[in-house]
Amino acid sequence: MNAIETVNLRIWYGDNEVIRGVNLVIPEKVCFAIMGPSGCGKSTLLRSFNRLLELNEIARIEGDVKLFGKSVYDMDPVEVRRRVGMVFQIPNPFPHMSIYDNVALGVKYNKLVKSKKELDEVVGWALKKSALWDEVKDRLKDKASQLSGGQMQRLCIARALALKPDVLLMDEPTANLDPVSASKVEELIHELKKDLTIVIVTHSPAQASRVSDYVSFLYMGKLIEVGRTEEVFENPKSELTEKYLTGRMG
Amino acid sequence: MLRKLKEKIFLFSIAIATFLTILPLFHILFSVFANGLPVLMKGEIEFLTGKLAPPDDGLGGIGPAIIGTFLLTFLASLIGLPIAVLTGVFSAEYPKSLIGKSTKTLLLIMMEFPTILVGLFVMNILVLPMGSYSALAGALALAIVMMPYVAVYTEQALREVPFIYKEGAFALGLRRSKVVFRIMMGMARKGVITGILIGMAKVAGETAPLLFTAGGSSRIYFAGLDKPIGAIPLLIYQLVQQPYENYHQIAWGASLILMLIFLAIFIPIRLSIKEVRL
Repeated sequence: MNAIETVNLRIWYGDNEVIRGVNLVIPEKVCFAIMGPSGCGKSTLLRSFNRLLELNEIARIEGDVKLFGKSVYDMDPVEVRRRVGMVFQIPNPFPHMSIYDNVALGVKYNKLVKSKKELDEVVGWALKKSALWDEVKDRLKDKASQLSGGQMQRLCIARALALKPDVLLMDEPTANLDPVSASKVEELIHELKKDLTIVIVTHSPAQASRVSDYVSFLYMGKLIEVGRTEEVFENPKSELTEKYLTGRMG
Repeated sequence: MLRKLKEKIFLFSIAIATFLTILPLFHILFSVFANGLPVLMKGEIEFLTGKLAPPDDGLGGIGPAIIGTFLLTFLASLIGLPIAVLTGVFSAEYPKSLIGKSTKTLLLIMMEFPTILVGLFVMNILVLPMGSYSALAGALALAIVMMPYVAVYTEQALREVPFIYKEGAFALGLRRSKVVFRIMMGMARKGVITGILIGMAKVAGETAPLLFTAGGSSRIYFAGLDKPIGAIPLLIYQLVQQPYENYHQIAWGASLILMLIFLAIFIPIRLSIKEVRL
């Protein structure tokens, strides 16, 4: 079954149409990259998958987004967001909370565990999954704001993983990180896609080729090309894609 | 040469203007201390706890007024804070809605509204029907004065939380109530608490809204929520109108107490509330 499928998806901000009829199929347990120049609608598209776009009052959506075959618009948005985690461009752990609470928060409020012990286990599991455990295990009570940028981003990944989502959306997760931290996050992606579907938005073709199994190229709100990553990179069908991949358009 | 001279004259005039602006503040602080401290030293602890002395016969104390001020501020907070905080949350969460927009405007008007009119309003709806000045009426008037400050500060503080945190919270599958009260409020707490303390400091020093509502009481500590009650600013206002020398002295002492209460609320605002580091 496909993890995510969009059907004639169109999105407007006011009168401005930013996604112009996108039909996209994202298979299960792969890393799927959405690449394209800035302003092409990548982040908007990503935010329609977990209905986060609805926070924006002027956004209007037409068409459908299906999560494992079921329209997300027939589901409670809270349920959608629990099953579709998200990591953002700017690391945004809640700075007033401890490292532990940042990870525990979503689990606790979604009532996914029954006891404190179970919660401890989930938090530990998520921090290990996000390769942060060794760095923070002795300082779980410290404020999240004391971490470095790269650690913060991995904390955000842990926070999302703790809900045991089926899909993880990543909106340019390494754009604000130093190269070492960025490569740690990329390594994580390789590890995580064994268990869940990852959809990563990136403006960097290089990153898309490193981390993804499938890649799609979005340009001016339209899906120009989609396919297996090697095929698209070796043999792009569209001239636009080729221009983008070879750096003649950015 | 001329340019340098101009700059010096400019700097000098700004320095003078600044000095003139803050001069009254220091003058008030100084004169209240200079006149109030001797009264406090002479009246000793009884000045804080005792009842008002008869005319031309010693100092006695301003106990009923102090108790009244604390009680009125407490009651006003009890009535006003929950409503005001929720109002602030509402206008921050729904800024584009008709209610959200008009609330914001109304709050700003309320903030500048002459407080004596608030007193008149409460007199009409509470004091006249009940047939007596009361602590309740005083507290309600103060609550009305306090609410716009708290609501506006709350709204402002919530809006200053960067959008990425709100998105992050929603992305974890939290309901709006949890997002607002656990995440946003937690991050905005400095602003919210500042608003609450400013509101409290403001009403602790208010006289006008109490004139027609609390009634004043200088010899009875507390007789019930439906009975008149004292307040320090009200007492000062009443004492300075009397022809007796000792009452003027008591008024200075009471001023010092009021100022200390005010500073005790304000200094923590500037010092101790920890800012959330982003």
